[in-house]
Amino acid sequence: MPHTAFFRNCNPSDFFLRCRSLWAILILVLAVSAAAFAQNVGEPNHPQGSLPATHLLGFAGTRNNTKGILSIEGDALRFKKSEKADVEVKIASIHNLSLGDLSRQVGGVPLTLAKAVLPYSGGRAVSLFSHKKYDTLTIEYIDPEGGLHGAIFELQRGQAESLRNELVSKGAQVSNITKQAAEISNENK
Amino acid sequence: MKTNRPAFLIMTGILLTLAIARPARLSAESAAQWTVQVSKVDSGAVGLTPSFRVAIYENLLQELSKTKRFKEVLRDGDQKAMNATNLLLLRTTVKKYTEGSETRRAVTTITGATKLTVQTQLFTPGGKIILDRTVNGNVRFMGSNLRATHNLARNIAKTVKKSSLPEPQASAVSKAMTSASSNEAVFVELP
Repeated sequence: MPHTAFFRNCNPSDFFLRCRSLWAILILVLAVSAAAFAQNVGEPNHPQGSLPATHLLGFAGTRNNTKGILSIEGDALRFKKSEKADVEVKIASIHNLSLGDLSRQVGGVPLTLAKAVLPYSGGRAVSLFSHKKYDTLTIEYIDPEGGLHGAIFELQRGQAESLRNELVSKGAQVSNITKQAAEISNENK
Repeated sequence: MKTNRPAFLIMTGILLTLAIARPARLSAESAAQWTVQVSKVDSGAVGLTPSFRVAIYENLLQELSKTKRFKEVLRDGDQKAMNATNLLLLRTTVKKYTEGSETRRAVTTITGATKLTVQTQLFTPGGKIILDRTVNGNVRFMGSNLRATHNLARNIAKTVKKSSLPEPQASAVSKAMTSASSNEAVFVELP
């Protein structure tokens, strides 16, 4: 077999030199692919006012970490998981909205396993490049029985602010504390 | 074949008694349960982001339901709380928050932990504190920063589950009534 022949033909003196360079190339390839994976690759077309989002937690009737489309339809904020399943809340029932950001490691379990098996702590080097920043939109709303709900959505970077502004223009409320925090973060930018 | 008839009769008697007594005991247990209302998380003086505050609240509701310690777990502001008997109020105040980083955890392993410390209190409607604990929730290695809120909620639910709560009013009254003879006055100290 060619690759076993490669290892067999390695002299003890240059074995480490050659094999190390092989590992180095492998780590470089993984790092580059992870970085490429973390980039925004051509966003798919979605109808006006609807954005791809991941529901992290809290939206009634939706499982955590579900991917779907977040949209404003009429007087409601709707999260659509698939063609049939969708959940919505009335925008008027939203009494607090806030933005945040989140940096997460990408690649899921496959990349985590790949990082774990890389020698010379190569996995750590890959971790430096394999993270991606997201926006988060946190909404607090009241259900018909008066109960307080909170939900967190993860959106592509730069998308959450436009959605928040649209929700505010349609009647969603923002608490004073959140307003102040948003002003401070804008000033810092 | 010779059978031991008295032993057989005694066994049947015991089984019948257990079968009759069991449902009554179960219904008494379920009647004795408290209903808990989870209040909105208080960020205290700590600059906790709204997403963390909401995540603690939502995870807490989920984890408390899983314990099956309470008849019902109600949200803040739920109108059902007005009619609920044996209602407890759970208040959570954030005392300490250390912001971590998932990337730093992945790169260095030993730094970048997200740490949360909260004070959790259970109140009766009269305002009497029946549980007051400080609980931690961290994420040190794997998982996103929000994972700390899940771990925290699980720890709070464990603490509440382990703690001994006083008996609710209804069951305290019924217990006193059954233990007292017919011509005795019954005094029940309500929480």
